[in-house]
Amino acid sequence: MNCRRITRLLSPWQDGELDPDLGREVERHLRGCAACSGRWAALGELRQRLLRVPPPADDPFLPARVMARLQARPVRGGRLLRAAAWAAVFAAVFAGGFLLQTAIAPGAATAPAASYSSVLLEPQEFGLLSVHDDFLDLFNGGGREAR
Amino acid sequence: MTMDDAARSDDDIVGSVLEGRTRDYEILIRRYSQRIVLFISRMTGDSDDARSIAQDVFLKIYESLPHYRRENNFSAFIFKVARNMTLNFLKRRQRTVLFSRLLGRDLDRAPFRQDPPRLSELEQGEREGELTRQLRLLSEEQRLALVLKVYLEFSYRQIREVTGWSVPKIETLISRAKSRLKKSLRLQESGGEAVMQAREQ
Ligand SMILES: [Zn+2]
Repeated sequence: MNCRRITRLLSPWQDGELDPDLGREVERHLRGCAACSGRWAALGELRQRLLRVPPPADDPFLPARVMARLQARPVRGGRLLRAAAWAAVFAAVFAGGFLLQTAIAPGAATAPAASYSSVLLEPQEFGLLSVHDDFLDLFNGGGREAR
Repeated sequence: MTMDDAARSDDDIVGSVLEGRTRDYEILIRRYSQRIVLFISRMTGDSDDARSIAQDVFLKIYESLPHYRRENNFSAFIFKVARNMTLNFLKRRQRTVLFSRLLGRDLDRAPFRQDPPRLSELEQGEREGELTRQLRLLSEEQRLALVLKVYLEFSYRQIREVTGWSVPKIETLISRAKSRLKKSLRLQESGGEAVMQAREQ
């Protein structure tokens, strides 16, 4: 097999996805080809570096938080909840539009984001429908740091 | 979690939850939360976002349980939901940036906000930070495939169950993602001796 073909097989080989016969051919080729060995070594180093990125800190309270939220809301009687959620979305869009106007209007450069966001619904309440998240972010200067 | 809980299959627990033993759902959350948070954080590059999205994922999964067809593949089911919600989040974040630009605000830092570095990260210098950044510069599809492979150790077939893509497509996406990262991290391709040790298996 030529180098071009071998090069294409290196990634699936590294992923353990190559059939054993092909794998043996790759191995044989690498023993005699410095260029492909170099590519292979670089792939190995990349993998090492990807795995060295520290995992996110454990969040031991996540299960309890989810369970608490579940208990606070009916499961399959979701229709009422959904209606309320949509009402919230409309309210948020409306409020967002209002905020947009105030922000763009001259002389109203500093939108009091904190007070508006406290009037708006808590975004976590409707995690799946966080349209107004965007708006809040906008008026917090884009970063979540402000929250 | 008791030993008995650990031995129970996902489907068994789902059945029990659907029969009204709601508390059993917590077993599933404990079983998957770390992997789901890891997955989302690698996709978004932000572990705070990841925890908050993960919470929504588990709420959504709970609501969807009645629609889950029990065929011993709860893992694919939950990762599919996590994937969809993460991609939606990324779209929203992108939109926020566009809006911000429209308003003429300089928010360049917003889309690539970094986690505050933890001690171990500081010790290892800036290289991992750079890697996280490079990961986020991949296309969404490439990143999704690579993250599922490298961090979740999914096989191409398992990735297919989550994404619906063909195995050849997955192979190409991962291969291109690696090439691109190699290039942007300037990993040398010099011929070397210690080559064979790098293999995964
Ligand atoms: Zn070669």
